[in-house]
Amino acid sequence: MYLFSKNRYYIQFMSEENWIEVGSTDSIEEEDLIRFDHQDKTFCVYKLTDGFYATDGICTHEAVHLEDGLVMDDEIECPMHQGIFNIKSGEALSPPACEDLKTYPVKVDNDKIFIKID
Amino acid sequence: MKNNIIILGGGQAGIYAAREIRQNDSKSNIKIIGEENLLPYERPPLSKDFLLDKKNEEDLYFHSSDVLKNENIEFENVSISKVDFENKKLFADNDDVYSYDSLLISTGSENKKLSLDNNLKNDVYYLRNLEEAKKIKEIVSNKNKITIIGGGFIGLEIASSLSQLQKKVIVIEIGNQLMGRIIPKQIADLVQNTHLEHGNEIILNKQIEKITKKNGIYEILLNDNSLIKTDFLIAGIGSTPAVKLFENTNLKLDNGILTNQFCETSIKDVYAAGDVSNFYHPLYERNMRLESYQHAQNHGICAGKNIAGVKTEYTSIPWMWSDQFNLNLQLTGICNDYDEIIERGNDINSGVIYFFLKNKIIRGACGLGIAGKIGRDIRITSKLSEKNTIVDKQILSDQNQKLNKLIQK
Repeated sequence: MYLFSKNRYYIQFMSEENWIEVGSTDSIEEEDLIRFDHQDKTFCVYKLTDGFYATDGICTHEAVHLEDGLVMDDEIECPMHQGIFNIKSGEALSPPACEDLKTYPVKVDNDKIFIKID
Repeated sequence: MKNNIIILGGGQAGIYAAREIRQNDSKSNIKIIGEENLLPYERPPLSKDFLLDKKNEEDLYFHSSDVLKNENIEFENVSISKVDFENKKLFADNDDVYSYDSLLISTGSENKKLSLDNNLKNDVYYLRNLEEAKKIKEIVSNKNKITIIGGGFIGLEIASSLSQLQKKVIVIEIGNQLMGRIIPKQIADLVQNTHLEHGNEIILNKQIEKITKKNGIYEILLNDNSLIKTDFLIAGIGSTPAVKLFENTNLKLDNGILTNQFCETSIKDVYAAGDVSNFYHPLYERNMRLESYQHAQNHGICAGKNIAGVKTEYTSIPWMWSDQFNLNLQLTGICNDYDEIIERGNDINSGVIYFFLKNKIIRGACGLGIAGKIGRDIRITSKLSEKNTIVDKQILSDQNQKLNKLIQK
């Protein structure tokens, strides 16, 4: 029982730690995004009409930051070559992008946005 | 009904058309005939990341052979020497005959060549395909001073790459500005400054009188009697639609293959897409021929839909880009027919954009900035021009105001 509990707490602890604070909810305008850098990775965090979402911050087609891309409805368009991804699923919707974009869970706690990085 | 669909031309328009046809038609035979013995690949990196060794050959292919196999799209490397539109047949150099029910011509464009009256024809290099890029990459590794004839996109992209490889680069342009065929002078001058800052020499307004070779060194005599000595010559002086195969046929040609907004040519069941097509654009109510990545792709997709029976108008707003050094240049819409110009930003680090308006309606924009910085606003301009939007000039000129809000849903 002791071992089980310990493991359980350990898992919970790890999982709590992986929620990284991005900023306050009012730092993003609706239907827009902000770039968030953590360690050596870049993410994009979006505010859509129904909540906050997060994806990798670099296009899967060429190494370009998506922070300068256009958010339209549930889609982000790469500013360099106009590849389009669904923000919620990461699905590559329009060429030249053909590899999906990785997405991350997002939660809001006390007006602060957190993303869960694995 | 099962059809034989042949796509003549194994470039970007061809592969996107093939996949679009398959999306809408699971039964027909689809065959791409390509002159290069390579699956369709991306050309933009050839002058940039490929020369710089940041991308290799494997990175260039649009799709693997597995994707084509899974979608039952055949690819054949053969050279076609004759077309019989009446009997719907293509004749290959090796005497093979191909019959089609529907034909898409996506043969692209070919480099214009310098007219050299001596034995130097093989000494001037051009860059359009992978083989040429490989040759240039190999040869420049042993050269120091390289002259590029032509200050258009391709010449300047090569100049940027060679400069990054520590080469001494000279660009000779016949016109009074760089990229003069399509890029507004304001942006061209900013690009020129960047080349100069990186040590490239830019010579404008000069014609080449003569090129000679002495002891392995080329001497270029210009029309002001100045002489340039160089180790290697590359030319990028424009291109022409690849239509030689159709010159003595009934297919209507005029600066490419004439097509309507559905990619249909003057001959039934024959379509054309990409660089080779001089197409009717319903928004601008005129024909145009474009040589760009986005156009090849979208026009190919549109042709694919129409071939598969999904009647679709081509209404894509022209858009193109060029990457030089760490800068990204983009142009959208029409930038040469305007009565007012509005400037947004004055620093290429955060992006500079010129908007072109006519009768208060936004028609196009051209911008330059560190990679990606101008992409969103250029894209918004495409959307605004598509809807003939009259925009608030104050918002356009103020970089602190986001343009997103101008898009009407």
